[in-house]
Amino acid sequence: MKKKGQVELTFNWIYVALAGAIILLFFVGIVIRQAKVSEEQLSGEVVRILDSILSGASVSEKTKNSVEAGGLSDYVIYFDCNEGVGEFGLKGKPARMQNSIDPLFAPKEIQSSFILFWSLPYHLPFKVIDFLFVTAPNVKYYLVGNDEEFVNEFLDSTAGLEQEGFNREYVADLNDLKAEGKIKVRVVDVDGLQVPEKGIPAGLNLFSDEDVSAIAFIGGTNLANFYQKEGNLWKKLNKEPVEIISLDEERNAAKYAAIFTESAELYTCNMKKAFDRLEILTEVYGGEEIAQGKIGGKLKQMVDFYKNRPASSECIALLLEYKSNAKDALRALNTGAAGCRLELGFGESPLSCAEIISVANELGKINEDLRINCVQLY
Amino acid sequence: MDRTGQIKISETIAVLFIFFVLILFGIIFYYKYQQAAFFEKEEELLGAKAIEITLKTLFLPELICSKGAAEPEDNCFDVLKLDSVDKTFRKYADDYYFDLFSYATISVKEVYPGDSSWLLYDKPPLKINRKEPTFFVVSLRDDLTDENKPQYRLGYVEVVAYS
Repeated sequence: MKKKGQVELTFNWIYVALAGAIILLFFVGIVIRQAKVSEEQLSGEVVRILDSILSGASVSEKTKNSVEAGGLSDYVIYFDCNEGVGEFGLKGKPARMQNSIDPLFAPKEIQSSFILFWSLPYHLPFKVIDFLFVTAPNVKYYLVGNDEEFVNEFLDSTAGLEQEGFNREYVADLNDLKAEGKIKVRVVDVDGLQVPEKGIPAGLNLFSDEDVSAIAFIGGTNLANFYQKEGNLWKKLNKEPVEIISLDEERNAAKYAAIFTESAELYTCNMKKAFDRLEILTEVYGGEEIAQGKIGGKLKQMVDFYKNRPASSECIALLLEYKSNAKDALRALNTGAAGCRLELGFGESPLSCAEIISVANELGKINEDLRINCVQLY
Repeated sequence: MDRTGQIKISETIAVLFIFFVLILFGIIFYYKYQQAAFFEKEEELLGAKAIEITLKTLFLPELICSKGAAEPEDNCFDVLKLDSVDKTFRKYADDYYFDLFSYATISVKEVYPGDSSWLLYDKPPLKINRKEPTFFVVSLRDDLTDENKPQYRLGYVEVVAYS
């Protein structure tokens, strides 16, 4: 009887210990799972907030602002773009956001306590879309070279952003460049005479390769090459020079976009988004059958209005009849944008998009002429 | 002895029963709390989405009152574009604009002097769980007038976001 009691007592303790351990394990499991879910939710929330910030910054024209990253500064934010679909998210976290509409030009990775946003409208010749540039105070932009006009324009344009923390400096000679601290360096060779010829300046030797990149605009042309540091040399990232498709205007959004983007792939991928929109907009102005030479949209309404007014023959001529007329220009712009979009979609350097620039200039001239006695197309 | 054993077994079963009932209560409470939090979050996200779509609509190059190379007029839609843009929105609704607006209905209504209305984008989901309308006052510019100067009208843009 005494022995039976001892066995029962021991059994009870073992039973209690086992049951307790199982219950404890159950709750520990719940806590661990919940912690993981919370972390995923947090990264999702962070990416969603970042997306809202980007949406807000991209829609309004010429906005410059900085946003305190707060808890985001613990994470590396990455930006990518493939086949016309942009993506950003937190490195190493599952949450990410994709966007095939808004062109976003940024370094490949940012980790900073402040994030800087700048949006600029892209005109071809009418407003096509707003380009959003994203950067951080710990990315330093060094302008080198002798294209004074562009250097001054860029420094003036970014003066407001500098107050928000944008970090840029002009050095005439690449070898005079002295960078220090835990920063990323972006060299902007404004006339293409120093990168890659002069190699990596001594002031950048201690930087890791992925922290130093460059863009060289080939002087007198609309072409640019993208580079990355590789030891003591510049490694060219694109096979053929990349064409900067833009009108010759101040605050050239397409040129500035190339400065803020680290690679040619990211640049052309985001430019494709602009050409998607350009093709659609030509249909808003010229009608959905403008590619076949049949007018519609805003153009048709203007033509119908002026047709019934004999005094407005000049307007009809500018819209339809002159050798250089709005209908033909819109048609050429529509087909040009479609072709260009396809080329960029295949990841090709958009050299054959050059034609678009002359057509856009022509349409811009027609629109100016319309202003004298008629309603402008855009 | 048998009776004591039976009592002990009943006691253990009762304890286990109460334990599982408490666990069940806990799970039900947690589920209800999560459900309420989920609906609250869904509502918050839908509100944010509606505002975001409204913001995007107000700055759409397809609608804005442009002035050549100058900056476009704020909160203004071009009537000539409004009259023809619905075809473009319909044509590219799935390929392009769905990525921009997702499930939403966007319309513009004139309130003075006329009462014209334009349905620009209409993409409700098959099953509507919730909808959030947002309104924003805009001016409507009509360039084609006999007076050779633009005529401005008053209207509003209505954006209904769905989830």
